[in-house]
Amino acid sequence: MQALLAVSRAIDAVTGFIGHHIRWLILAAVLVSAVNAIIRKLFDISSNAWLELQWYLFGAVFMMAAAYVLQRNGHVRIDVVSNRLSERTREWIDLFCHILMLLPLVLAMIWLTIPFVAESYQGHEISTNAGGLVVWPSKLFILLGFVLLLFQVISEVIKRVGFLTGALKEAEPEATHGLTPEDLGVHGGPQK
Amino acid sequence: MIELIAHNLAPIMFASLIVFLLLGYPVAFSLAFNGLLFFFVAVELSPYSNDIRLSWPLIQTLPARVLDVMRNDTLLAIPFFTFMGIILEKSGMAEDLLDTIGQLFGPIRGGLAYAVILVGALLAATTGVVAASVIAMGLISLPIMLRYGYERPLASGVIAASGTLAQIIPPSLVLIVLADQLGRSVGDMYAGALIPGLLLTGLYCAYIFVVSIVKPSAVPALPAEVRTLGGGVTSLIVALSAAVAIGFAANYLLQDEIENGAAIWAATIAVAVIYGGALLDKMLGFGVLSRLAQQVIIVLIPPLALIFLVLGTIFLGIATPTEGGAMGATGALILAFAKRRLDFKIMSDALEATTRLACFVLFILIGSRIFSLTFYGINGHIWVEELFIALPGGEWGFLVAVNILVFILGCFIDFFEIAFIVVPLLAPVADKFGIDLVWFGIVLAVNLQTSFLTPPFGFALFYMRSVAPAAPWFDKVSKRTIAGVSTLQIYRGAVSFIVLQSIMIVVVLAFPQLSIAARGPEVDLKNIQIELPPAEGEDNGIAPPPDLDLSQPPDLGGEQQQQQSP
Repeated sequence: MQALLAVSRAIDAVTGFIGHHIRWLILAAVLVSAVNAIIRKLFDISSNAWLELQWYLFGAVFMMAAAYVLQRNGHVRIDVVSNRLSERTREWIDLFCHILMLLPLVLAMIWLTIPFVAESYQGHEISTNAGGLVVWPSKLFILLGFVLLLFQVISEVIKRVGFLTGALKEAEPEATHGLTPEDLGVHGGPQK
Repeated sequence: MIELIAHNLAPIMFASLIVFLLLGYPVAFSLAFNGLLFFFVAVELSPYSNDIRLSWPLIQTLPARVLDVMRNDTLLAIPFFTFMGIILEKSGMAEDLLDTIGQLFGPIRGGLAYAVILVGALLAATTGVVAASVIAMGLISLPIMLRYGYERPLASGVIAASGTLAQIIPPSLVLIVLADQLGRSVGDMYAGALIPGLLLTGLYCAYIFVVSIVKPSAVPALPAEVRTLGGGVTSLIVALSAAVAIGFAANYLLQDEIENGAAIWAATIAVAVIYGGALLDKMLGFGVLSRLAQQVIIVLIPPLALIFLVLGTIFLGIATPTEGGAMGATGALILAFAKRRLDFKIMSDALEATTRLACFVLFILIGSRIFSLTFYGINGHIWVEELFIALPGGEWGFLVAVNILVFILGCFIDFFEIAFIVVPLLAPVADKFGIDLVWFGIVLAVNLQTSFLTPPFGFALFYMRSVAPAAPWFDKVSKRTIAGVSTLQIYRGAVSFIVLQSIMIVVVLAFPQLSIAARGPEVDLKNIQIELPPAEGEDNGIAPPPDLDLSQPPDLGGEQQQQQSP
């Protein structure tokens, strides 16, 4: 079990590292979009490559961060019923759903996306917009995103088993619903 | 038996989705897995039912569906506006606004409540994040309101409700999501939501006015000594009149020079002059303006300018909503930098929160596209349509039923889930009834806004609970112990605002022109992609990314051909 937990920690470190640093591409997308809009208005110059770059950047962020968000338990859940269950029951549900739902889903997506990327790469597919970018990197983000998710599912399964067998002390981090007070820099709580 | 299942596959698929969702597993993955599972079931059962139009090669369209979500220009506005909101929040805008506007209105009865409503609306038009507004106003205004004897339920209710204005006043995220789901442009949704949003703000103020007459003790005026900025309202009025005069003069002078947009330039000049004047006055200590007037002008102008930069350019058609979001985010960065509230950590944290939110939203969308491939492939949309057409009352029966359904769902699940799961099922039916989809979207948006206030799962109430003092606390200013606010009081405070919300839903339903008139002349929206910058329009006959995917049954034959190419 300890060896498996070490594997899980290694996976978490990698997906965490990627998820942690990929966020800066959002700032890049903001700046590209703003500069592009201003230049288009002022000089009437427009480039499809820059327009496409915006969603390449954003696409890279949300695909590559999905595994990290799963690790942080940030994918929204409907917790009306599950709130009433015990922590152990919730961990059991997650374990089963990870193995029976997410794992097949992610494997299917990887299996479908490999030819999708390969064809685009081999055919030197270029965007249909005049002056557009090569297409395969955007498709590659989809593949990489699901591959990272695959590793994260493995890590999550190990952690759930670890928790249920008592080898791991801490349970899943508390689910976040949208933005939390901490995200907004307000450290709330009743004033004493 | 197998035939029975094959013929009722759509209801079975929907029921199993509900079970998966109630398990509490992430919505995005439940949706996607459900779509995938029933794809296999449906293909196996396809010999038994004519309703099933799925075959194995179609599964290869899934990566293309993910790519469509990725290259959707409209959805880029989600991270842009989220980032802008968080940065503004961290730059302390809410504190400044509440402090200043509170002092401006404080001396009148119900003044603090008006200030909360107005600041709520201003924050809504800039940050658009409910959590941010409720938490900031709850932390700053609630203690002051309690200190000076505001009735507890009313104080917490007005803060929670004003915070939810961020849902309906542009640039709200829910309007972007609804625009995407309904296949309408974000610009139209924004234009349609503007008047209902402002009316709602007015309705809140009217309610406070009525309370201040019927029950003055619930909303007392602030005593004079609290007003550290002193009086000087006259000075403010003079300054504002001067600004208006400058604006008109500039407009008159510029009219012949510039053909288009003279009024905009004139307004910009007037605002710049008054802002510069107030800044100079403050720095050099001339004392031309009263301190109150100075402060109001200096605090109010930057957010107003930002609102214009974002919403003005979108409404005037100068920028697409995505560009507006990007410029707003850049503007927010500049503002925060100018106020010396921007450092590496704040930037990094804001990007982290943005990444998390954008990632889960986009993944629900990916899940719902995978779900919809199967659901439409087994004619699920026809099943939903038949359910609603069977209702008595035709179009109105449908609208009433939908609103009751969304209201009830809103008590239990949050708006992203409703927008992604329920709205795509309803949109084609609404379209069939000939209902204007922008209007439909605005009605849903007001309804979803209400869901933030309805116990037991109203998020605005949760945020309120997290910042309202639950236990008695010692107030240093008034030197006495003030009782806390109980959860029941927070719920009770929400009730009157839920009633106001319901009135607003009825008003928007009864007067469609409120959300349609603002859009200008009727054009065939289906053939116009307003969000796309003109350069992309030249894309030589290749269809734009299929934004309409969910509201229309997928063109299964076409996709199949496209994908079967070797």
